[in-house]
Amino acid sequence: MGEVKLFFGPNHPGMHGNFSVHMYVEGDIVVKARPLPGFLHRGFEKLMERRLWYQNLALIPRICVPEPDINEACYAMAIEKIAKVEVPERAQWIRMIVLELARIANHLWSFGGIGGPLGMYTSMFWSVADRDKVLDIFEELTGARVYHMYIIPGGVRKDLPPKLEEKIMKLMDYLEQRMPEYETFILKNRILHTRLKGIAKIDTETCLQLGITGIGLRATGVPYDIRKIDPYLFYDKVEFEIPTATEGDALARISLKPKEIKQSIRIIRQALEKMPSGPVNTKIGDGNGLRIRVPKGMAYARVESTRGEYGYLVVSNGGETPYRVAVRGASYPQGLYGVEHLLPGTRIDDVPIWLDTMGVCAPEIDR
Amino acid sequence: MTNSTNKPVTEVLGKAKELFNVKVEDIAERQYKLIAEKDKAIPLLAFLKESGYSHLSILTCVDWIEEKKFELVYILFNWFNGVTFLVSTFIDRDKPVFYTVKDMWPTAEYYERDVHEFFGVEFEGNERCKLPLILELWNDLPPLRKDFDPLKYSKEHFPDREYEKDVIHEAKIIRADLENTRGDING
Repeated sequence: MGEVKLFFGPNHPGMHGNFSVHMYVEGDIVVKARPLPGFLHRGFEKLMERRLWYQNLALIPRICVPEPDINEACYAMAIEKIAKVEVPERAQWIRMIVLELARIANHLWSFGGIGGPLGMYTSMFWSVADRDKVLDIFEELTGARVYHMYIIPGGVRKDLPPKLEEKIMKLMDYLEQRMPEYETFILKNRILHTRLKGIAKIDTETCLQLGITGIGLRATGVPYDIRKIDPYLFYDKVEFEIPTATEGDALARISLKPKEIKQSIRIIRQALEKMPSGPVNTKIGDGNGLRIRVPKGMAYARVESTRGEYGYLVVSNGGETPYRVAVRGASYPQGLYGVEHLLPGTRIDDVPIWLDTMGVCAPEIDR
Repeated sequence: MTNSTNKPVTEVLGKAKELFNVKVEDIAERQYKLIAEKDKAIPLLAFLKESGYSHLSILTCVDWIEEKKFELVYILFNWFNGVTFLVSTFIDRDKPVFYTVKDMWPTAEYYERDVHEFFGVEFEGNERCKLPLILELWNDLPPLRKDFDPLKYSKEHFPDREYEKDVIHEAKIIRADLENTRGDING
């Protein structure tokens, strides 16, 4: 049988966002793959150079649609590094709570994501319903469900509203008792378990060589987590573990998600306990109100997103707008180079699973 | 892992200064900027990779149009001590050519394509550097250069829509017609 060219995407239930892969197949095995990004290029980096430092906050959450808060956190932390500003303690704890809630929301969302290519809609219904409960908290905290624009350079926009801490605690209790159910009914379910076991395998050496971070790397047995290795905010003041697996296959990657959610719950509880009262933001740079000037300089800030290292390089020339902002999308290595070199040898019907479990996210690659 | 990966930061920075004549700036805790001359940047990167700074977070570029320079920034990370190095080197803006690092970091091939597409920097040794990646059928200046004006480009390529008809006037006519018709029927 000759070689046939097939298109994956740009719209596909296994791909979140518009992203295309040109697959050259023999039988049902992919022999050559070429990623085709760019469908979601919106020119964020250029747009940011033309807007005020604070105006960009409305823009950046849109770079990564499913997990917007990491953008705000990276942007704010990079600016604070340039301006050499200490953020109030309470604001740092609140940021941690927001980032961990976002982490939980996105892990749950990805359970919904894996339901698509596998046809296992229970996981989708369950996890989207539970994610909605997290979004309710966000709505009360920030006024928005998805794009919060809550973490700002210098701290956070507002303090927690009254009684929100109790609601977060209640939600944590609820999610904690849900996790065993997820493990039993979803991860041990035959549709998912049999389908995912042993496919889309990847080893540690390849991950490190390519710069794949996050769950993809941790599923091969390496406990590399930026929250531990290069702690930002107060991650060095809370206790949590880094779940790892050794198989390096799709099932291992998915199985790490409930374990990571449990650790996030642990972090949120500690943060709520340890959080002191006090101011939640501080002034940054010169200038008044929203028209600030950040001193000249360059800094890189990274956070551990659900897909791996997510970072912003921010350059300032002392002006009212950023001089340059470069975004390091967490799935850039696996989404482009990884697709080209690791996808060959995969069966056509495993391609969406490969892309989904490796966390390839089109909007952050295209920017 | 070899012992060389666990060397203290000061030792690595000292050697980098001694061997490659780099200028070191403190950015923040565990983050340093290393500015190297153009011809020493690649050996410096190789040295740092050997010293444990083996994770390339991103390779990107900054356009310093007034100084007529492009600044290439390689962000390296050490998984053992959590230290980040921003390795920076300046190249001529009029002749933006540099060398590839894809042999050291395979993913750099795509970062270089990205930088070529958005800044027009060529990377010698990367054969696929000039292939389009994110922008399709782009025929203007590389868009992240400071002299590229997105507003002008947008005006040229996507002209404002001209309405031939006056919509409000038409709506009034239609309404009047309807009233007339109704009047006719009733009459």
